[in-house]
Amino acid sequence: MHSSRSRSRRSARFWAGVVTAAALVAALIVASAAGAKAGHSTANTTLVVDNSFDLKSADPAHSGEPTGELVDRAIYDTLLTFNGANVATPIPDLASSYKASADARTYTFTLRKGIHFGDGTQLTSADVVFSLNRVINIKGVSSTLLAGVTVTAKGPWTVILKSATPNPAIPAIITNAALGITEAKVVKAHGGTSAPGADQSDKAESFLNSQSAGTGPYMLKSFDVASQVVLSRNPHYWGPPPAFQTVVIRNVAAPTQLLDVQRGTNEIALDLSPTQASTINSKSVLVHESPSANVIFLFANRNPQVSATASNADFAAAVRYALDYPGLVKLAGKGAVQAGGIVPSMFLGSLGAKQSIKTNVAKAKAELAASGLSNPTVKLEFPSDITLNGVAFATIAQRIQSELGAVGISVTLAGSPIATALTGYRAGQEEMGLWYWSPDYPDPNDYVAFLPGQLVGLRVGWTAGADATIDQLSHTASTSPDPATRAKAFQSLQERMNSIGPFFPLIQPGQVIVASKNLTNTVYNPVWYLNIAGVGTR
Amino acid sequence: MPASELANPQPFGPGRLASWWASRPVLSFVLRRAAALVLLSLGITCVTFVLTNLVPGDPAAANLGQLAVGDPTAVAAFREHYGLNKPLPVQYLIYLDHLVHGDLGVSEQTHNPVRHDLATYIPATAELALISIGIALVVGITLGVVAALRRNRLTDHVLRVISLAGVSMPIFWIALLALYVFFFRLGWAPGSGRLDPGANPPPHLTGIYTFDALVSGSWGTLWDALSHLMLPAIVLAGWNIGLLTRYTRSAVLDVLQEDYIRAARAKGLRSLTVIFRHVLRAALPAIVTVLGLLFANAMTGSVLIETIFAWPGIGQYAYHSATSLDLPAITGVSLFVAVLYVSINFVVDVLYGVIDPRIRIT
Repeated sequence: MHSSRSRSRRSARFWAGVVTAAALVAALIVASAAGAKAGHSTANTTLVVDNSFDLKSADPAHSGEPTGELVDRAIYDTLLTFNGANVATPIPDLASSYKASADARTYTFTLRKGIHFGDGTQLTSADVVFSLNRVINIKGVSSTLLAGVTVTAKGPWTVILKSATPNPAIPAIITNAALGITEAKVVKAHGGTSAPGADQSDKAESFLNSQSAGTGPYMLKSFDVASQVVLSRNPHYWGPPPAFQTVVIRNVAAPTQLLDVQRGTNEIALDLSPTQASTINSKSVLVHESPSANVIFLFANRNPQVSATASNADFAAAVRYALDYPGLVKLAGKGAVQAGGIVPSMFLGSLGAKQSIKTNVAKAKAELAASGLSNPTVKLEFPSDITLNGVAFATIAQRIQSELGAVGISVTLAGSPIATALTGYRAGQEEMGLWYWSPDYPDPNDYVAFLPGQLVGLRVGWTAGADATIDQLSHTASTSPDPATRAKAFQSLQERMNSIGPFFPLIQPGQVIVASKNLTNTVYNPVWYLNIAGVGTR
Repeated sequence: MPASELANPQPFGPGRLASWWASRPVLSFVLRRAAALVLLSLGITCVTFVLTNLVPGDPAAANLGQLAVGDPTAVAAFREHYGLNKPLPVQYLIYLDHLVHGDLGVSEQTHNPVRHDLATYIPATAELALISIGIALVVGITLGVVAALRRNRLTDHVLRVISLAGVSMPIFWIALLALYVFFFRLGWAPGSGRLDPGANPPPHLTGIYTFDALVSGSWGTLWDALSHLMLPAIVLAGWNIGLLTRYTRSAVLDVLQEDYIRAARAKGLRSLTVIFRHVLRAALPAIVTVLGLLFANAMTGSVLIETIFAWPGIGQYAYHSATSLDLPAITGVSLFVAVLYVSINFVVDVLYGVIDPRIRIT
C-alpha cells in the first residue's frame, strides 16, 4: 500500500515536472514570437542604421574611422560642411562665411552668433580654437589633417587658420567630422586639454564616449564600440530639427543587414555589396548604387633593390596595358566604375572615362618584349581578409594573375591578413601590391601622397625627383588658390602618372545604400557615408 | 584534537604535514588547481606576448589611419601611449606588475581598460552560452536516451542522422539559415541584437539582460531579451545537441547491457524509474566528461554566432583584437578563457565525485 502510494507520488512529481518544462518552453516560444512582432514595429520616431562598425571613439579628437565619421557628423558641427553628395563646394556650418588669402595660407572664418551648446553656453571662437588645437596636440588619427596649421582667435566671432605652406584644401579638410567643435568648458572640466603634451595629459575621451558636448542636431545617448550607438535629438539645435527623435546605429554584418533592412521600417543598410543588393526583390526598400570614393589600385615597385623585374619601366607598361579594366568593373558589380586616375571621379581634378587607361594586350606583349625580361615572375601581395564594398581583394588578385598570365607574366599570389600585410606595404618591401585608398577629406590634395617622394610614393620606391614634369605639376596642383587651375593641373598630373608611373588605378567599387522606401535623403557622402540628420520621411 | 596528542604534542614535521594534507583531500585538490591556474596564467601571458610580437605586424600600422601612420609624431605618440616603445621583456614585466594589481591594460581598439571591456562583453556571451548549454543538455540527453532505447529502429536511425548533421554542418550557415527562415520569412523571431533597436537595457547588475530584467522586474525588457536570445541560443546549441546525443546514446547502451538493469526490470520496476534511477545515473559520468567540451564549443561557436546575430560578446571582441593586433585585449581574452577552462574542469571533477561515490573514496 505504502509502496503504491509512493510510486503514484513519484509519478505525479514526474508529470508535474514534464508539464512545467513544457509550459516553460511554450512561454519562451510565445515570448519569442511576441517579441518578434514588437521588434518589427520600431517606433516611427526611431531611425535604425545598420553598419559593419569600424569605430574606436566618439571623441572627435580620437576619431577618424568611417563609423566614427558617421556618428560625429550627427553630433558635432564643423566650421564648413557639404550638402548631400556634393563635395565640390563647402557650405557654411558654424562659420557663416570665410575668406582665403591670395596665397592660400590664411583662412579667416566668421562664426554664426546665437549657437548654443546643450548647457546653454554660447559657442565662441574660444571653443573652436580649443577643439582644433586639441586635435593637433593629441597627435591621434586625425591630427595630420591639420599638419602645419596654427589656429588662433581674433575676437569672439573670428577664427584664423594659418598654414605653413599654401593649402587650398583647408576648406574641404575642416568639413571632416573629426574636426567637430566641442564645448571647451565642459571638455576641460572632464580632463580635456588642448595644450602641447595633450597626447599624454588629455583624459576627456571616456567622458566624450559617454555623453556629447557639441552643437549638432543629435546628442550621444549611449555608445558601445562593439554593438550600437544611440543618438537622441538635440533640443537646443540651432538648425532645422532632424526628422527622427532617436537614431540607433547598430553593428551588424552585411548578410544580416540584408535581412534586417527588408523586414524593418525606418531602416538603412550601409554595407551591402552590389551582388547582395541585386538579390533584393522587396518593394518596401529602395536601393541606391553609386561609385564609392574608394580607389583600388595595383602597383609595381620602382625600387630595383626590392625587385629588378617590377622596377623595369617596360615591365610596368606591360602590366598597365594587360589589365582588363572593364572586366574588373564588371566583377565589382553595379555602381562600380573604372578609376580614371588615382583621384576619385567625384573630386576636383579627377579624370574622365576617356582619359583612363585602356586595355591593349598587343601593346602589353610588345612592352614586355621591350623589357628584355624572359618569362618574368613576380609576387603580388594583398590583404586577404579585406572586402571593400563587397569586393574581395583575393578575387581581384586572382583576376590580375590570370590577365597578366595571358601576356606572359607569372604572378605568385601572396595574400595575408591586413594587420600583417600592412607592415611590408608600408615598409616599401612589396614587389607588387594590391591596395586601396579611402579619402580623408574630399580634395585632390589627399592624393598628393601618391607622388614621388611622398607617403605612398615612397612605399613603391618612387623617390623624390623621379619625374620633373610631375614635380612641376604637383606644385601647381596642390598650392594654387584657383580651383580651375588646380583641376587642370591634377588632370595633367594623373595623365602623366597613368603613362609612366608605378600605380595602376583599377576601380572605384560601388557604394550601395539600401533604405526603407519611406525614407528620403539617404544620399551617400564620400567622407561620412550618410548625413543622418538629413534623413527624412515621405 | 585527540587528548593523547594534547598530552604528547608531536613536532609539526613533514610526516604530520603529509597526514594533515591527506586528511583534507578537497582542500588539497582546490589548492593544487589554484596553483595550476596561477602557473597557467603566467604561461599564457608569456606565450601571448611572444607570439603576438612574432607576428610580422605593427599595432601602430593596424590602428592608426592611412595618413596618421605616415606621421612619425603620431606613430611615436601611439607607441608611447601603449608602452610599445619599450623592449619586450620590459613591456612584459610592466604588464605582470599591472596584472597583479588587477590592471589588464588599455585596449588599442576600444581605448577602454581591458577589464572594463571584459566586464561588458563576457555577460553577453555568458548569457548566450549558458542558455545554449542548458538547451543542449535537455535536448541532447533526451534524444540520446530515446535513441539508445529504440536502438536500430527508425527513431534511432533518424536521431543518428540528426545528430550527425548537428556536428557536421557549419554553424555560420545554420545561423544564417535560421535567421532567414524564422526572422525574415516567418517573422517568428526578432532580428539581430540583444534587444529591439532603441530599447533600453535593464538596470545593470550582472550584464546578463534576462537576469537583470528579472531581478528588477522589467518584464517588457525580459520578454524582449528572451525573444532575442532564443534563436542564437538554439543555433549555438545545435552542435552540442549532436555531440550529446551521440555520447548519451553510447553511454546508455553500455549501461543497458548490465545485469543490475535486467534485475531491476525483472523486479517489475517501471520503465521510467529504471531509466532515470539506474540507467541515466550510471551513464552520467560519461556524459559529464563532455561538459568541458560543450563549453569549448559554445566559446568557439560564439564568435560566428555573435557576428551573424550582432551579439556584442567576447567572441567578436576576441576576433577584432586579433585582427588589430591589440596585445592587451588578446592577453586579457586569453587569460579569461584559461580561467574559464580551468574552472570548468574543476567543476567537472567535483561533479564526478558527486555522481559516483567510488571516485570520492579514491
